[in-house]
Amino acid sequence: MSETVFEIKDLVKEYPGVTAIDHVSSSIKKGEAVFIVGPSGSGKSTFLRSLNLLENPTSGEILFKGKSITGRHVNINKFRQQVGMVFQHFNLFPHLTIQQNITLAPVLTGKLSKSQASEKADMLLKRIGLADKSNAYPNQLSGGQKQRVAIVRALAMNPDVLLFDEPTSALDPEMVGEVLSLMKDLAGEGMTMVVVTHEIGFAAEVASRIIFMDKGKIIEEGTPDEVISNSSNERVREFFSKVL
Amino acid sequence: MRYIYTLLCSVLLLLSCGCGKEKKPRLVMVTNATFPPYEYVSGDTIDGIDPAIVRKIADALGYELEIQDMSFDSVIAAVQSGKADIAASGITVTEERKKQVLFTHAYVIAEQAIIVKNDSPIKAAADLKGKRIGVQHGTTGDTFVTKNICEPERFANGPLAVAALKTGKLDAVVVDGEPADVYISQNPGLVKLPEPLTSEEYAFAIGKHAPELHALFNRELYKLRSSGELTSIIRHYKEINSADKTKKYQSASFRDRLQESIYINFIKDGRYRYLVRGFLITLQISFFAVLIGLVIGFGVAVIRSTADSTGKLKIADFLCRVYLTVIRGTPVVVQLLIIYFVIFGSVNIDKVLVAIIAFGVNSGAYVAEIIRGGISSIDKGQLEASRSLGLGYWQSMRYIILPQAFKNVLPSLGNEFIVLLKETSVSGYIALADLTKGGDIIRSQTYDAFLPLIAVAVIYLAVVMFMSYMLDLLEKRLKRNE
Repeated sequence: MSETVFEIKDLVKEYPGVTAIDHVSSSIKKGEAVFIVGPSGSGKSTFLRSLNLLENPTSGEILFKGKSITGRHVNINKFRQQVGMVFQHFNLFPHLTIQQNITLAPVLTGKLSKSQASEKADMLLKRIGLADKSNAYPNQLSGGQKQRVAIVRALAMNPDVLLFDEPTSALDPEMVGEVLSLMKDLAGEGMTMVVVTHEIGFAAEVASRIIFMDKGKIIEEGTPDEVISNSSNERVREFFSKVL
Repeated sequence: MRYIYTLLCSVLLLLSCGCGKEKKPRLVMVTNATFPPYEYVSGDTIDGIDPAIVRKIADALGYELEIQDMSFDSVIAAVQSGKADIAASGITVTEERKKQVLFTHAYVIAEQAIIVKNDSPIKAAADLKGKRIGVQHGTTGDTFVTKNICEPERFANGPLAVAALKTGKLDAVVVDGEPADVYISQNPGLVKLPEPLTSEEYAFAIGKHAPELHALFNRELYKLRSSGELTSIIRHYKEINSADKTKKYQSASFRDRLQESIYINFIKDGRYRYLVRGFLITLQISFFAVLIGLVIGFGVAVIRSTADSTGKLKIADFLCRVYLTVIRGTPVVVQLLIIYFVIFGSVNIDKVLVAIIAFGVNSGAYVAEIIRGGISSIDKGQLEASRSLGLGYWQSMRYIILPQAFKNVLPSLGNEFIVLLKETSVSGYIALADLTKGGDIIRSQTYDAFLPLIAVAVIYLAVVMFMSYMLDLLEKRLKRNE
């Protein structure tokens, strides 16, 4: 058994009048590409955001590499430095150049020196074919380019796991491909990933495991084949018959 | 940022310890030097009957005399609060004032005269009913007219009231007799009515906490009167004032008149220097007040935003709210006077520093709300992205949120700085010779309202235009990434 990155125990997140996550337990193993799918409002994004504490769980516990991150005396910043996050709307820093977007966090957190960080940024930008945009500003990039920069911004911190929150939902259709292919490459390299997405076809192709959520609960969990094609659950079958 | 802060600190230090050498004990006299021949600004110094008498007595008593110029309505407060030792400003003895200060023996019996236009139907005090009357704010003329005739229009000084009379904004002006003589000698269309409105006694005012000084002054005043010196001082100043100013320009063409007016207002006796020095003081106050305002503003804005979004810093947030409410709920003039007379009431502190603090603290409240608006205009995804990379809350503020907020609110901030620059024009209330006051001083010497006011306005305008230009450049620079 490979080592466990996240261990989620009986997680509950309540908003006034709504239970977004309803007693969810699961775990994410190193090297897995876990895709969370399900209808809108099923609690997928809230679940993902809970993993790096952008949402504060109401109850339950989350362990990261065996240590609780939901307890009282946790250094949240130290923990988050090991967990990369990619947002639907990219959230690049518009006042900084592409290079600065990538180097800011490694330098400020003391992970890398200035020169190491910019070397790393150059290397990462080269990898995604945007070396010439190093000194451009985010607003000069296309949506697909922005999202790829956002991914390498997270990679620059050398995270143990990457969280993707609907990374292609805000993109024009012709730009989805470039982002997905980068994600596929990362998964192929053994990067641990947790992805919330509506790209079922992509999930079927890349996921090592699929989690199906509905109304704040995990309804089904398993390989793409088990969940997408051969589910015994009526609700799950109905969902995939609509989206596929 | 840190460099600017260090600079600010050292300048403040310099300002606050400018008065090191002390040989004789100091006697601080306050006056409103727009009241010839009793007190007026002549070149670099304040001269007149009151300064001359007080200087004589200070010399005799072994004091080093320091004269401070402030608005007339502040001089009594200044001796009362101990800011000054003696108020000598042609002060009329009244029952109300007796309750607040000790008066020396009277050194002059003065009258309140009525000035009207040549062709005015007002021939005596009885005709004043229902007319528009101008007075100098806080003078006995003011009190008397208010009590016995009607609500007068109150001006900061006599020449302003006279200027208003000349332009037909008033029907009559009530001022003290001697200055009235000077005013009418300067303004051919005006006459002083033969019969005074009232007559009254002038005396010096000393704080009630200093009865010894009061006794000493009375003793010396008595000596001066017995020796006849008092009379000769008064006569001397009345003569030089009427001789100096009786020649009034009555030249033919507009151009000649303008030229002569420019000469008299700006060139003669180097009067332009009042504007230059005032301008530098205004700049000094505005510049450092802007810095203080920015520091306070950023601090308060971050505390308030943090409290709003995380529910932490409850106590600091409460204090910030109190600060904002009080500062934005009261006029800046009142704040300036409170800081000068109450907070630094018993401290000998440079007035420029007082003004910098007052305007800085005032501006901070407005800057804070502007920047808070800027912070909340930033998409919350920015903070989430920054936090998700492992940066702390304050790091995220410093590197991600504030730079963007600052850029967004730059136009509003620029507006606030422009307002601040112009608001410093009330510095004259604590007797600071800023740009506006510089114009006032010239006006009180030349009895010409037009050119000094226009010059002051043009200078403010030029500075504001320059500031707008610089802010424009900064804005363009910050927007290069869009």
